Amino acid sequence: MSHDNKRRKWKKYRKGILAALPFVTPGLLLVCIFVLYPMLFTFRIAFSDYQIVKREITWIGLDNFINVLTAKNNSFWYAFRNNFLYAFITTPCIIFLGMFFAYLINNLNKGKTIFKIGFYLPVITSWVIVGLVFQYLFNSSNRGLINYVIVDVLHLSKNYIPWLLREWSGNTAIWIMGIWKNTGWAMLIYTAALQGISKDLYEAASLDGATSWQRFIGIVIPMVKPTTYFVLVNMVIGSFNVFIQVMLLTAGKPNGTTSVLQYLLYDKAFKQFKFGEASAIGLMTAITIIIVTVILNRGLKLDTVDKEETV
Amino acid sequence: MNKLKSKKASERIGQILLWLFLLFALAIFSVPYLFMISNSFEKFSFSLPFPPRIFPKQIIFDAYQYILGLDIFTVAFRNSVINTVLTVAIELLVATLSAYGFARIKFPGREMLFNIYLLTLMVPGFLNIIPQFITLGAIKLPFPGLSEGLVGTRPGLILIYVATGICGYTFFLRNFFRGLPEALSESVIMDGGTHMTIFTRIMLPLSKPAIGTMTILALQGIWEEYFTAKVLLGANESMITLPMLLQRLNGEHATRWEWVFAASILIQIPVIILFILFQRKTVIGGLSEGSVKQ
Repeated sequence: MSHDNKRRKWKKYRKGILAALPFVTPGLLLVCIFVLYPMLFTFRIAFSDYQIVKREITWIGLDNFINVLTAKNNSFWYAFRNNFLYAFITTPCIIFLGMFFAYLINNLNKGKTIFKIGFYLPVITSWVIVGLVFQYLFNSSNRGLINYVIVDVLHLSKNYIPWLLREWSGNTAIWIMGIWKNTGWAMLIYTAALQGISKDLYEAASLDGATSWQRFIGIVIPMVKPTTYFVLVNMVIGSFNVFIQVMLLTAGKPNGTTSVLQYLLYDKAFKQFKFGEASAIGLMTAITIIIVTVILNRGLKLDTVDKEETV
Repeated sequence: MNKLKSKKASERIGQILLWLFLLFALAIFSVPYLFMISNSFEKFSFSLPFPPRIFPKQIIFDAYQYILGLDIFTVAFRNSVINTVLTVAIELLVATLSAYGFARIKFPGREMLFNIYLLTLMVPGFLNIIPQFITLGAIKLPFPGLSEGLVGTRPGLILIYVATGICGYTFFLRNFFRGLPEALSESVIMDGGTHMTIFTRIMLPLSKPAIGTMTILALQGIWEEYFTAKVLLGANESMITLPMLLQRLNGEHATRWEWVFAASILIQIPVIILFILFQRKTVIGGLSEGSVKQ
């Protein structure tokens, strides 16, 4: 009897595997060879001294991690701080601007598509191109548009600001570029969410004499909460993948104070050829992303439970 | 009657004000674009014009003529088109198949394997380039040009592009496939159909919006990809792609910014056309549906 059961189970197993093979195998093979194997290899390098030319790998334990964490110029900690700052500063701006523009566009009777496309253009523009343009916009001399507007038009400052060469102005440029590039994405997601809100709600509110702004605060923000979570999680995780902005705008100058983890990794691997330390940074970045994701998901789950209880 | 009229009038004024405000916001938002476009029409003068311009003073196509006349631009354009089209075609095939496998076939280890796919999405990808480089070098095929390994070859680059996209696209499409009604597939099985019939007859036709979205995102992603191409193709001049050419123009001719901007615009035009043509059906529809359902 139990023998029969086992056999039946095995048969079911085999059936499942045979059915899945033609679908899953091509992808799985490619992932194993070109994604998983390289990842394990990186994992190994993180604990080794790797001489790429000689192809020598020697196990050295935690030395790479210690070297990275205790580097004299604190480069890791600056990068780590900057990733979190990027998340804390750009995410709320992107969420607010995206929601605000989506609400305004949604209230239009005509011409919705033009504005949707207009605000979405930065999203489909290549990062490399955007980086080049911002390099020129934030040029240190009077030829940069931002300096020109601040000094020659608005007279807010007497001297031209060397934007990309100072710690906080450099970081600001990186944040502005991130906000500019991603607002359109949030706007698009929010316009879809707003279409799901019934018109009756607005009309009832207007009859009660609510202004547009009151409707925005009182109806729109609470109603699109799930979408806000979605955008929030995406933007926060995305903040740990910031790279091209930094490479093209500041290259971490001055002294790595505008660097981020991915740029530090790139610099260690492809400029200094310290693959061990680069892999250690990669591993710590991955762990940070996983922890942040888990915390965000916990937070969201707690919140939805709360909501169900109150309803 | 009068009240209705005045209500309509005030609504119209509201609409006009809204239009004006959005137009103003969009104008500020477009400054980087205007700056790029107006400077691509500039005449060479060793430095950016003062005061900085966001509207062109005159329209000269010299920079565009120069870029379009470069032999290497033609080569790079051809390479970028071939790489992008081949990669996305193969990616679509592999990713839809595997997404179906994860969404609709119960096989042992499915959840674990899927979680591994998800995990790979959280690890910064480009450190993998070193082991990928070594692995490609070790794959020697008995074809002309491929006997020395796949580094510096088109098939090598496309393999890496396809492989690194699979986990993300499988995740995206699996969510969509799962949202489709299961009753349809059950009826196919009752009629003696296989998973392949369900996949080709039901899933693919019903998933057009999701597949369309994925296609556009993938096309755009490969079209602008710089880093992997640079590392894998670096030394092979005949394989240069458009983003590589752009970086080279920027490095060699930092003062000829009108060339850099003209090239940027030429590279961006196909993406914008593609987006405008398909935005209603795919990008906006698919992206927002995918996100709101989650």
